[in-house]
Amino acid sequence: MFETTRYEANRRVRGTAILTIAISLYAAFIVWYFTILEGVDYEAVFESMPPAMIEAFGIESLATIGGFLGTQIYNFVWLLGLGLYFAYAAGGLIAGDIEHERMDLLLSFPVSRSRLLVEKTLSLLLPLVTLNVVVGVVIYVLVQAIGESIDPMYLVLAHALSIPYLLVCIAIGVVLSVLVDRAAIAERAAIGLIFVLFLVESVVGGASEFEWIQYISPTYYYDPTPILIDGSYELLDTGVLLAAFVVLLLIGQILFQRRDI
Amino acid sequence: MATIEVTDLTKDYGSVLGVDSVSFSVEQGEIFGFLGPNGAGKTTTIRTLLGLLAPTDGTATVLGADVRDDGEFIDAKRRIGYLPAQLGFNEEVTGEQVLDYHASVKGDRRREELLEIFTPPVERPIREYSTGNERMLGIVQAFMHDPELVIMDEPTAGLDPLKQEEFNEFIRGERERGTTIFFSSHVLSEVRRVCDRVGILRDGELVGLEDIETLLDQGGKRVQVETTDDLESSLPALDGVVDVNSFADGVQFIYTGEYNTLLRELASHDIREIEISEPPLEDVFMHYYGDDESTRANQEVESNV
Repeated sequence: MFETTRYEANRRVRGTAILTIAISLYAAFIVWYFTILEGVDYEAVFESMPPAMIEAFGIESLATIGGFLGTQIYNFVWLLGLGLYFAYAAGGLIAGDIEHERMDLLLSFPVSRSRLLVEKTLSLLLPLVTLNVVVGVVIYVLVQAIGESIDPMYLVLAHALSIPYLLVCIAIGVVLSVLVDRAAIAERAAIGLIFVLFLVESVVGGASEFEWIQYISPTYYYDPTPILIDGSYELLDTGVLLAAFVVLLLIGQILFQRRDI
Repeated sequence: MATIEVTDLTKDYGSVLGVDSVSFSVEQGEIFGFLGPNGAGKTTTIRTLLGLLAPTDGTATVLGADVRDDGEFIDAKRRIGYLPAQLGFNEEVTGEQVLDYHASVKGDRRREELLEIFTPPVERPIREYSTGNERMLGIVQAFMHDPELVIMDEPTAGLDPLKQEEFNEFIRGERERGTTIFFSSHVLSEVRRVCDRVGILRDGELVGLEDIETLLDQGGKRVQVETTDDLESSLPALDGVVDVNSFADGVQFIYTGEYNTLLRELASHDIREIEISEPPLEDVFMHYYGDDESTRANQEVESNV
């Protein structure tokens, strides 16, 4: 069991390490930046920003470390950056193998197509879990180091609840990956789609008559800033994300089963 | 039951017909060659046999399993080795890692033994491999779990002549061990050296299913002769001379008749240069399957290149 997951995860070790280090360095920069911003008049900062931007990046309370991290790291890196990254990585999962004709050999294995798809998808858990655990710990340590305090439970929640959201991004990439024959197309389509969904939620969210459109975006169901400020979240949102992940993965399975390679 | 049983197999891509109602069977323990020019439908047939493509019509069973049923086919796949035309191994991993991965899924009872015959540099990353090395790694993975049936698409493409000869030797040994081998090729000489039976595919249709001897008898030899006197005018008198082409100092033709007759005739001329060789596959088709159609096939081959 999980031979393919092991092989694919091994190939992701290097990339995962680099990405984890890069995001940890960015987090260190943001935490340091918070220390030099102390004493800034945030009311003035808010007033100078367009309301759409405040909405898009969930800028709520820059004065506390929780709000600051939520805005500068979680909304920006987790919601948008990693959302795009995982959709991109998933986009290449199947399409890349088909494009380079690797899939011929993989499907000659005594393994069903659906298991192959699941095993390949599971290999993305390596960066998904590593990033959340390592960067989460790094942020906690750094916050302690500058003499601020953040509830470790809030941090754990912000990371744990990001996983269902990122799984949906992965599943969107997987569906696109089994639909097309070229990795570049699936990857770009996945990135484009996640970005459009992000914009739809943040821009349309303000306009009341089109309010319903925001519900189609996975970004609507994960909002890290309130979690970091006071630990508030909706379990229903997580349920919606997990259900969407399962449904999208099943669609991917069915499409993969039926297609010619 | 035959190891491979194909009945009226058709694959319609919409714009082109990949294979058109092909039927044949491969018996246990034989080496079956699948011969045809590029674009004839060999790869389409092979990929259908592995369940990669769903047939538009007709059926195929491999080791008793229906290739259209992903679930039923899984068990049979344990006993199948496959060498595709394009291997496409991940560039950054080493040959060793590729084999480890394959071994973890399907086993590697014969890995060491195979690596003594075929010698890809397993400690180096695939990115540094030559075409021949990649092919050798492909051969190792196809045989290492000791399958009952091995399906190969143009197995010797990219191998140097010495390795090709070792490969042919190896294949004959595999038959002795009872392995069934099905492979495609567009090179007649390769097929004649190792196969027991040959299926000939052209434009998606199976145009011949022959014992190798029958095919060779009908295949003939290509003769190129340069003479100081006039040979060409005496050729029509000989039985089995076809496809005569003259060039500056001599003449070229395909000879399917009796060798002594040809040699006696040649002996009566003053010969400056002579070459008797295996005819190209297209020429075999040309006089074997009628001029009109095969001329067309020939042109298609050229346009493919």
